[in-house]
Amino acid sequence: MDASPSVRISVNQIAKQFNIGFKHKDGALSSIVSAISGKESRKALSVLEDISFTATAGENIGLIGCNGSGKSTLLRLIAGIYQVDSGTIETYGELAYLNGFGFGLRWKMTMRENIYLAGLLMGLSRKEIGHRFSDIVKFAELENFIDTKIYQFSSGMLSRLSFSITFHCLEQKTPDIVLLDEVFGAGGDLAFQNKALAQMEKFIQGGATVILVSHNLDLIEKYCDRAILLDKGRILTEGQTAAVVKRYQDLINGPERPTAV
Amino acid sequence: MRAKWMKILKILRVSLSLAKANFILRIEGSYLGIFWYLLNPLALFYIILFIQKSAFAGSPTPHYPAYLMIGIIGLNFFRQVISSSIQSIAASGDYIKSMNNIAPEVLVLSVVFQSALSHFFEFILMIGFMVYWRISLLGLLFYPFIFAAFLLLVIGIAFIFAAVGVYITDIDNIWSIFAQLLLFITPIFYVATPGSAVYTANLFNPLFYFLEISRRLIIYSEWPPAWMALTMLILSLSFFVIGLAVFNKYKKKFAELV
Repeated sequence: MDASPSVRISVNQIAKQFNIGFKHKDGALSSIVSAISGKESRKALSVLEDISFTATAGENIGLIGCNGSGKSTLLRLIAGIYQVDSGTIETYGELAYLNGFGFGLRWKMTMRENIYLAGLLMGLSRKEIGHRFSDIVKFAELENFIDTKIYQFSSGMLSRLSFSITFHCLEQKTPDIVLLDEVFGAGGDLAFQNKALAQMEKFIQGGATVILVSHNLDLIEKYCDRAILLDKGRILTEGQTAAVVKRYQDLINGPERPTAV
Repeated sequence: MRAKWMKILKILRVSLSLAKANFILRIEGSYLGIFWYLLNPLALFYIILFIQKSAFAGSPTPHYPAYLMIGIIGLNFFRQVISSSIQSIAASGDYIKSMNNIAPEVLVLSVVFQSALSHFFEFILMIGFMVYWRISLLGLLFYPFIFAAFLLLVIGIAFIFAAVGVYITDIDNIWSIFAQLLLFITPIFYVATPGSAVYTANLFNPLFYFLEISRRLIIYSEWPPAWMALTMLILSLSFFVIGLAVFNKYKKKFAELV
């Protein structure tokens, strides 16, 4: 990579459709057939169309738009979880995608076992997890419960643990690209939330290319160098964060308020 | 090349950890613990043995209890893996949709390994029985090789069922009927003599080769015919390769369908 600043994500005229189930007015015969076969009718729904942009190393991009505008789908396409129908996406470097904390915790296992299992699922080796183990426990403020089964944890303890595991595993992997889908709001009490937010902030500004999806426009304005506004699967505008956020607010408050699909 | 091997190694490692966790979780906090895994094959074993003794008077073959036991634990492993592989992808939407670094293969392999763990305990139980029945344990030395081939076959079939399970919900119901029939189709509690219709039919049953070869080597200390061993190997490798190919072809679509 000799281009400077180096491109980390290159999205080129991509389009994506989903086949979604829907009900339509049928004749009696086709209603019976679909009732017997149990299959529902499907139609193609265009989720993203003609999307192109690039992101360079160290850049933070905010992705905003109403529900159903295609933000999460775009992140999953970049992460390689979904496949594009047309166009190309190229990413360079280690990529991490995050859309929440704390799935996959096992109630009947101890915190220690949960940390190891979750770490492995997040792609760390046993050794790497061992390395971060005390950080995870300490950050979650759960030093006294290492060998307690987590079904006895309060919901605050659980969210602290989930955040701590996910965050530390993410940090350990030192990704070049980070895709964050509505991950702010770590749970726990106010003190912990502030602590978590401070960690996230440090991480976002740590040099990786970050794409941030959030409905919290303050966060977008605070962290992002530029922003992209999606509307009904197309890029409505992109550029300086403040201007894009303003355009989004106008769109929401304007006369032709878009409806969620 | 090295990166590819590292990736495979990582998939195996994560699968094994997940299998171990799920294996322990099933019996966590229960009073009978590991015995729960053994209860099903043991119950089937004693009921069939009882029926055979009281209704049919006499054993159809020497060392019949050992013959039956090998049949039951082999069948049990096969049925367990396939039943759980069908839902392994379809029911893991959470993982597949929200993690870019978990290979979907992990979800299938972990259910295979979980059943392999319980097969291991059933096998230990059988060793205990063999000592009690005074059958030489020497033949058991061959079992790791037979099981390795069996594992390849089962992994291949599990990959196919996992992929199909994402697209066709009915497969779950079809399999549960077929799994019942498999107990009767395969010579588990009866002996299929060469030349009989049931023997010919079983030549198309992959499970048959593994049971037959295991029984010959472990119980009767005799070599299986070469064609039988060869067919076993060919079946294992073909199912493994086909299963991987099918899974690879469809895995990119899983996230949108679960």
